[in-house]
Amino acid sequence: MGIMRPCKPNAAYCGAFIFGAALLLYAGSVHAAGTPIPHGTLELIAENQWVAAGYTVSLGLRFQLEKGWHIYWSNPGDSGEPPRVTWELPAGLTVGAIEWPAPKRLGASTIVDYGYEDAVTLIVPMHAEPSLAAEQPARLGAEVKVLVCRETCIPGKAELSLTLPIKAQVPAPDPRTADLFMATRKSLPRTAPGNWKFSVTEANGSFVLTGKLGRQISQASFFPLAESQIDNSAPQKVLPDADGFRLTLRKSEQLLKPMERLKGVLVLSAGQAYLIDVPLSK
Amino acid sequence: MKRSMLFTMLTGLLLCAAPLLIWAAKVGEAAPDFTASASNGKTVRLSDYRGKYVVLEWHNNGCPYVGKHYNSGNMQRLQKQWTSRGVVWLTILSSAPGKQGYVTASEENDYLAKMQATPTAALLDPTGEIGHLYDAKTSPQMVVINPQGVEIYDGAIDDKPTTDLQDVPNATNYVSLALEAAMAGKQVQTPATRPYGCSVKYAGSSH
Repeated sequence: MGIMRPCKPNAAYCGAFIFGAALLLYAGSVHAAGTPIPHGTLELIAENQWVAAGYTVSLGLRFQLEKGWHIYWSNPGDSGEPPRVTWELPAGLTVGAIEWPAPKRLGASTIVDYGYEDAVTLIVPMHAEPSLAAEQPARLGAEVKVLVCRETCIPGKAELSLTLPIKAQVPAPDPRTADLFMATRKSLPRTAPGNWKFSVTEANGSFVLTGKLGRQISQASFFPLAESQIDNSAPQKVLPDADGFRLTLRKSEQLLKPMERLKGVLVLSAGQAYLIDVPLSK
Repeated sequence: MKRSMLFTMLTGLLLCAAPLLIWAAKVGEAAPDFTASASNGKTVRLSDYRGKYVVLEWHNNGCPYVGKHYNSGNMQRLQKQWTSRGVVWLTILSSAPGKQGYVTASEENDYLAKMQATPTAALLDPTGEIGHLYDAKTSPQMVVINPQGVEIYDGAIDDKPTTDLQDVPNATNYVSLALEAAMAGKQVQTPATRPYGCSVKYAGSSH
């Protein structure tokens, strides 16, 4: 990859720039530098320093965007498109589903989307088969197609790569990425505590999600995993009660078949996001 | 039992009546009438086309999803194919002034000529009135109206919600499916889908 940028006429500036670029390229073999995407950068990082047969390590797709630009959640909402990843991995390594941090509600009025502003890291678990051969380091490749938007939308594509050694010992954490992975894990929706009870009923073109959490809840919003279930732009009315809350979710105009379950992310307040899966009461 | 059911139905109807005034019409309902100026200078009223099939195509010439369909020639092909069968094709331009996709009449005419696009008319909707009437969320977004003035399809142009040109040939086109089914007197199998594309750039929108 050549860095082609016009140098300022100042020779010393040029020299310093070229030296810096060379350093970056050298460093890139160990810790991948950010690959440009529209209005941002994307990096493939790992939580661990190496891979070991029989163990799972976490990879991260680290998006950093210019202020005000956003990308989309797995359900993008009314418009937009989530990032799509195509992996190229050596034999013996497989990836699982993306773990998406809790999204934000973007936009207002008649068009509401779900996504992330400014920065987000998507976590991807990678499992190493017991049969993983260790002759050479593992070169991981990912082609990512991403739509980056602010007022306008720009599709981007990035080819990412990361090389990790393969060792026999349990993969050790990478101190360079530890903080980022810890912060990202805090933003992932959790399983709701076992003593919380949820139910969903239908009434007058809406779903009503009732949560009994053992305390009054005055703020709640719901992000459906599936598209075309709820009307994304309709306000979600929260009715607190002593025991929890009731949340009214208007049905989507595209919901043509009866729905069995309401699955998605329930956000109670900043940092408290839960993954819920509630059957519809008959 | 029957009396309470009747009461519930009436209450439900009453409660539903208010939202109908706020919410735009949808599939299975009468397509709301509108009047607009076309880029060719004519005034177009939807109800003038009663007795014909009408396709509404929300458009923004800066949106990469719209670009996929125009740069591949797909939208132009659809316009030709269906207008030659008597369908009225109306391209709707709901971007507010200053926002992506906003065009003057002459800019739109230049675009149509350059793209060799042949809608029946391209309608200027800078106030977003028609867009809001149909609750148009993205460009492209497609609405198909039957000769009786009822919406029979609303949503995505096809089943490949990407900006990739290579996804055009293999996509299932929902507009064509709806027109073919309705013209054959059959039920439209997929009457509504989530439209994909860039958000319509209404006045006051920020993303």
